[in-house]
Amino acid sequence: MSGTNASPTGRSHQVMRVAIVDDEELARKLLREYLADLEDVEIVAECANGFEAVKAVTELKPDLLLLDIQMPRLDGFEVLELVGREVSVIFVTAFDKYALRAFEVHAVDYLLKPFTTDRLRKALSRARGRLDSRQPLPITELAAAARVPGAHLERVAIRDGANVHVIPVSKIDYVEAQDDYVCFRSEGKGLLKQQTLGEVESVLDPAQFVRVHRSYILNIDRLAKLELYAKDSHAAILRDGTRLPVSRSGYARLSAVLK
Amino acid sequence: MYVTAWLPIAALLTQVLTRGGTIRWSEAAAIVVPMCLLYSFICQSSWYLCRAVPLRVAPPGERFESETVRFIGSHATAAVVSAGVWVAVGWVWAWILGSTFGITGIESRYVAQIPMLFISGVVLFVIAVAFNYLLITFQLSQQAESKALELQVLAREAELKALRAQIDPHFLFNSLNSISALVMADPAGARRMCVLLANFLRGSLRLGSKQRIPLVEEMRLAECYLDIERVRLGARLKIQRDIDPDCEACLVPPLIMQPLVENAITHGVAPTIDGGVVSLQAERNGAGVRIIIENPVEDEATVKDGAGVGLKNVKMRLANLYDGDARIDVNRNAGRFRVELQLPCDRT
Repeated sequence: MSGTNASPTGRSHQVMRVAIVDDEELARKLLREYLADLEDVEIVAECANGFEAVKAVTELKPDLLLLDIQMPRLDGFEVLELVGREVSVIFVTAFDKYALRAFEVHAVDYLLKPFTTDRLRKALSRARGRLDSRQPLPITELAAAARVPGAHLERVAIRDGANVHVIPVSKIDYVEAQDDYVCFRSEGKGLLKQQTLGEVESVLDPAQFVRVHRSYILNIDRLAKLELYAKDSHAAILRDGTRLPVSRSGYARLSAVLK
Repeated sequence: MYVTAWLPIAALLTQVLTRGGTIRWSEAAAIVVPMCLLYSFICQSSWYLCRAVPLRVAPPGERFESETVRFIGSHATAAVVSAGVWVAVGWVWAWILGSTFGITGIESRYVAQIPMLFISGVVLFVIAVAFNYLLITFQLSQQAESKALELQVLAREAELKALRAQIDPHFLFNSLNSISALVMADPAGARRMCVLLANFLRGSLRLGSKQRIPLVEEMRLAECYLDIERVRLGARLKIQRDIDPDCEACLVPPLIMQPLVENAITHGVAPTIDGGVVSLQAERNGAGVRIIIENPVEDEATVKDGAGVGLKNVKMRLANLYDGDARIDVNRNAGRFRVELQLPCDRT
């Protein structure tokens, strides 16, 4: 019974607005049952998948997500990447060795299924402390650490307001840096995500995606030809006619992959 | 086979005996052929001596010289004794030839050849000993090789046994969480889930230690697993079964379907938002049995590493157990992932 009234700042009577995210009906039911006993918690949403979670965060602005990791189409870490800057998160998972390692490395709280009410209370009070101190989660590092070592990204999740686009990496034509954002170009459309080009480069398969320029990563399947247009500088012509600049080092990387 | 190898030796000895000019061809052959027959058996008995005095490097602490002396001494003694006995028997035979068949003076002419025959006897004995050692070494190396092969097979079996007995921890923890959720709202459901889980664990442990089990038991275990997952996944998981009663008695390797059924859930139904149907089919197919496991698959989903591991294990086990008589076909079409097993239907 340590959690309920033991918030470090003493602001325990402020009601915490929580959204439950789990694809299993029974798992949601259990959380609902546990949370019903707590006075200072209000359940504002129950989400059966990541898309609903992003929508709920956008529209209802909860204080906290109780977030399952293994979910269809959009997993817990993808949800974290999309909304983790706006909401506090407690991860709930049955077993996932990479995820657990990631939590431990970054000292992030998590609940292991099955768990007790006491354990949930403790996690909630810690989350409250984090909320009060406005201590952000190390989102990018956490998501990177939870990835299976050696595996490359298979899909990119991009938020567009309350909606989420999931693009398989094979459908990406190229990625362009734009100030604080990167723009994923796919099927004639561009989708912006708050990330650096270097981060994107590090998670894509290097045999498929090549950093041809400081501001561009190219899917080599889209390359039609390379043109020399000045001394030491090339341009990549894509199948749809798009021209991308290729730097000298980019040209070297491209030659190495195409060889 | 062994005796025919002595024919050229007999011919050679006959040649040697006639060389002195005192013994004629027919006489020499009459003496040498029975003698060679006798000696072939004497030399063969050196096999036991070779087994008793093995060729080996003197172990540390034992003096090399004493080992060598013992080795040479025992064989030299045996060679001298064998050749001596042999020559003596030949002498008796020559005497019999002389007195019974009336070949005059054969005995005295034989006696003149004794030293030469004795030396031949010793040399032949030594050759036989060398040959025996060669044979023993060859047999030992063959034994070692088959032993190594046997060990390799055992190691692989142990590895596969460990693989098939593995229960996915994710599955276990999720099931426990489901029970935890059912306890308050649906106590009967919680109890049912406990029984299902116990049945599944017991079944895995019990069946995993057997060589072959009837298909009906394998199916029961798979269905038990699916029932547990249905509690967890709810309406998202639908199960369809179509098992021909004719193939229920077919003997199959235990838990051969388990990784495939687990794949159907973890990589088929669980990653989809709306879920789908997992179907189990089994039917007789000529002398064999065909088992088909089908599940929905997302168009975009690539076959993940986990699914690959499960499939690979099943492939390896089939190759190991049936040596090419079993097949596994995997294909993916129109949003369905289908694995087809073709096994011989053994019944005992």
